[in-house]
Amino acid sequence: MDGEDSLSETAARAPVFPGGGGELGELIRNFDWSKTSLGPIATWPQSLKTATDIVLQSPLPLVMLWGPDGIMIYNDPYSVFAGQRHPRLLGSRVLDGWAEVAEFNAEVMRVGLAGGTLSFKDQELTLHRNNRPEQVWMDLNYGPVMDESGKPAGVLAIVVETTGVIVAERRRAAAEARVSHSEERFRALVNATSDVVYRMSPDWTEMRALDGRGFLADTESPSVAWLDEYLFAEDQAAILGAIGEAIDKREVFQLEHRLRQVDGSVGWTLSRAIPLLNEAGDVVEWFGAASDVTARREAEDHLRLVINELNHRVKNNLAMIQAIGAQTFRNAVDLPKAQASFTARLQALAKANDLLTNEHWVDASMQEAIQSALSPHRPDDRTRCIIAGPSVRLSAKTAISLSMAFHELATNAVKYGAWSNDAGKVSVTWQVEAVDDVRRLRLEWRESGGPPVTAPDRRGFGSRLIERGLAAELEGEVKMTFEPEGLTCRVEAPLRAPESE
Amino acid sequence: MTKPLRILVVEDEMTIALLIEDMLTDLGHQVVAMAMRLQPALQEAETADIDFAILDINLDGSLSFPVADILTRRGVPFAFASGYGSTGLDPAYKQHLVVRKPFQAQDLERAIERVA
Repeated sequence: MDGEDSLSETAARAPVFPGGGGELGELIRNFDWSKTSLGPIATWPQSLKTATDIVLQSPLPLVMLWGPDGIMIYNDPYSVFAGQRHPRLLGSRVLDGWAEVAEFNAEVMRVGLAGGTLSFKDQELTLHRNNRPEQVWMDLNYGPVMDESGKPAGVLAIVVETTGVIVAERRRAAAEARVSHSEERFRALVNATSDVVYRMSPDWTEMRALDGRGFLADTESPSVAWLDEYLFAEDQAAILGAIGEAIDKREVFQLEHRLRQVDGSVGWTLSRAIPLLNEAGDVVEWFGAASDVTARREAEDHLRLVINELNHRVKNNLAMIQAIGAQTFRNAVDLPKAQASFTARLQALAKANDLLTNEHWVDASMQEAIQSALSPHRPDDRTRCIIAGPSVRLSAKTAISLSMAFHELATNAVKYGAWSNDAGKVSVTWQVEAVDDVRRLRLEWRESGGPPVTAPDRRGFGSRLIERGLAAELEGEVKMTFEPEGLTCRVEAPLRAPESE
Repeated sequence: MTKPLRILVVEDEMTIALLIEDMLTDLGHQVVAMAMRLQPALQEAETADIDFAILDINLDGSLSFPVADILTRRGVPFAFASGYGSTGLDPAYKQHLVVRKPFQAQDLERAIERVA
């Protein structure tokens, strides 16, 4: 049988060397070793053959550098590491094959052939195995291989590339540094901002932390009581509505709302929170910042009040002008005179408004209200007008009424009374006295030195304004007396402190 | 014209109070009481012998609704007067007539005809 013959023939001849060994085994078998210092494979000493078998059978990347030239014999795993240098490396001298690291390998050869070992952990080398410089890291272990005489004839190297591990490690370290840097910046930002910073659980039932910054009370450990802690009961429904919408949409929560400040008073905040998501896209936390907009809200509220008040006053002033016009013209017989009188009354009203504008419409000094009303009418000679009395504050409305009344008294004095000649005088004096815990004002307008006075037949608008209007305004008594030496007007009324705002 | 009425005028602006008084007098009525602040207005509303009242809503910062309550209890008809228009009215008093300032004698006359 041919088959059995050929089998027995094969067994009879020298066994094929090396046996197996994958791609490299094949290459080594077919390589013309006679061109190297190792000589034809058939002449190899047993020690070299054994060492070659060990290299080829190893699952680790192994390379053997045989002889003084360091002729390279390696296995399949090493060929992967060698890249495009393979298969030219096989049978080449190590100093030629890895010219870029020749110095390193010369040292390896020197130590190994002297019987020593070398170990390098994560040795960094720059190789040109793929026609370009590559930075690589390797664990390198070298040990001598003895020949039949027991002397080192080669160096066996275990070459494990650790570049992947090193690069990953370096990337991780860099990423950590970045995260750490970004955390530092974040902390700096949080510290730099005056905003309140808070963290909420995904469904907002729990507040994880809140740094109140002196605006709100701090929450240092997770709390489910935050709602009542920070929000007034009547505001909670609306705010929870906005929060619910943000949770549903997983979008930024933003709302300007009222809250309880650290001192318990009402404040306003512009609060904004963003959902933090994990890799799966689930909200793991809400991170928020809340700025204190209390001052702005108060300014807006105040402005709204002022606008409402202004609107009210404008309408009221129109009604007053209507009233003054109607009263001035209703019984007028001399139209030009009535027109002059109307204009003078409007001017008096305007002056009273000026006075109150200067005082921000809170209250006014009685002294100033009287002086302002009399100034357009009184003579240049200051001794003909005496105004004296203690400091009294009047409400805005009372100040206007008093100004209008004194305008009427002054115009009457100019037309018929003490200021209608060159010598007459007017004195306005008042006292404040306390009767049964109620402060009472006693004021007197007294004219003297004017022409002889007779009571008029008919009471005009001025008289009615003073006697009926001012009396009702002051809730007191106002009496005009036409005495022979001049008109006297006495006012007696309780003094109420103007209502504060 | 309606029959002569005895009227309370509650108005915090002196000149306007006098104007209302003139208008009502011209319409043949009699202003028997006048109040410019809340306290005297409450007193007059309680005690004055009146058939009708004109109430300014804002009395130097105080609202005149307590006066309206007394008048309602006494069965005295009244109308509000206000520069705010009916927007200044508390919802509880929405059903009451509001005469807007500035107004004319005819506005007052119509208000009296509708309410009194």
